[in-house]
Amino acid sequence: MEFPIIVASVIVVSLYVNLGIALYGIFARPSLVKKLLAITILSDTANAFAVLVGYRWPRTGTPQPPVLMNTTNYNESIKYYVEHAVDPLPQALVLTAIVIGLAVTLFIAFIIIQYYRLHGTVDVRKTKALSR
Amino acid sequence: MKKSEVCVIVSIIIFIFSLAYITSLGGLGYLPPVDVRKLAQIYLSSTYNPFEPTNTSSGYESVTAIVWDFRGLDTFFETAVFYGAIIASIAVYRGVSISTKKKPIGMSPIAKTITRLSTVLIPTVAASIAFHGHLTPGGGFQAGSVATVVIVLIVMVFGLRKVILKGLTKPKILLLRSLGLVGIGLTAIGLVLAGLVIGVNAYIFQNQAKPIAHISYPMWIDDILVGGSLLLFNLFEFVAVMAGFALVLMLFSIEEEEVRKVIK
Amino acid sequence: MIEIFTLAFLMLVSIASVIAAFKAIIEKDMVRAIVYSAIQSAMYALIFYVLMAPDIVLVYIPVSVGITPAILLFVTKKTERYDGD
Repeated sequence: MEFPIIVASVIVVSLYVNLGIALYGIFARPSLVKKLLAITILSDTANAFAVLVGYRWPRTGTPQPPVLMNTTNYNESIKYYVEHAVDPLPQALVLTAIVIGLAVTLFIAFIIIQYYRLHGTVDVRKTKALSR
Repeated sequence: MKKSEVCVIVSIIIFIFSLAYITSLGGLGYLPPVDVRKLAQIYLSSTYNPFEPTNTSSGYESVTAIVWDFRGLDTFFETAVFYGAIIASIAVYRGVSISTKKKPIGMSPIAKTITRLSTVLIPTVAASIAFHGHLTPGGGFQAGSVATVVIVLIVMVFGLRKVILKGLTKPKILLLRSLGLVGIGLTAIGLVLAGLVIGVNAYIFQNQAKPIAHISYPMWIDDILVGGSLLLFNLFEFVAVMAGFALVLMLFSIEEEEVRKVIK
Repeated sequence: MIEIFTLAFLMLVSIASVIAAFKAIIEKDMVRAIVYSAIQSAMYALIFYVLMAPDIVLVYIPVSVGITPAILLFVTKKTERYDGD
């Protein structure tokens, strides 16, 4: 069975729309917490794109996760594995990116709390009015 | 709707369309492809390959093999970034002490009982993910994230003061985290040190024997695939990730009054 | 047959993630916005699972459905609850 083109287009288009929504959140919403939320959506969407690029649809059979499962006859199972498994490299990069992204999110959250302690607000427009 | 907002929306739409056009021209290609890339074929075929002993990693799982063997140095420096972000977060809370004199505040007995059960169950799952990281999907990062959930639960349900009274203080968690990082470093240079002692050639981040470096971590111990350095790396990364996130999430739950005393 | 079902499910999940992300951004109440964001993350976890990435699902569910909303709730509690005017 061929991979239907409509499914691929729906996923790609929805990921692009999510990218746009997240960018709107970063640019136009006044609250810093909302901006942080939008940044997490943006990074998740970028990670989903990377995983989608690593996906494949083999000529026969269905794709397989990058884990060697059948270990009785190594000669044949490795050949089958290379022909059917999806690309593991984007998954490895995304795996570390998610955890590092969480650490950076934590750091930004601390910065936002500190900002609130110093300025008394997390609304960027009000901060602009205060500094005048 | 204001004029500036319309400007923002229009420019975002233009940006997204141009990005989609550029990536569909050169980056993405036909999705999904039938074949994987050449590099991925090499990674997949040498994840566990008993016919090429000098070119293989030592687990059944390709992602863990890439993370900790083929591209181990990348992950090492990403762990360093992680370390830096956690240290920077701690620096914001410098000098804040938590008084344990007040009575600990917690949730209802139902929530406490459920949390006591999960305190056993979730770390068990995390440990199994960490120990089987080279055989089934999983590894150090996943296990650390899963184990962090139980820390969030405990801090939210029992309250921070109870946790500190039970003996899980900030210096102890820092020690645990440093232990994990030292373990990662020692595993990375373990074969170099062993090579210096017995006088043979070895690389950093070496797992199995290479053509001019003939020493390796044990791959099989008594019919069990232990995966050489992959098991050690997963274990230490589990400890480091769990302790780092636990530290920061405990700092998060300190009341604002305690912090404002220090900042002024 | 099972493949067609899986692919239709994938389409539905990606559309649902768009709706959840949109609601999360335009919602004024931060607590509800965080819940919508968690829903969007759960949809992404399903997308990752269908795209044959079990490793990422294992790391993504605790991080994006568990810890990130917890952090944002902590931040919301310590700062302001409502976004905008």
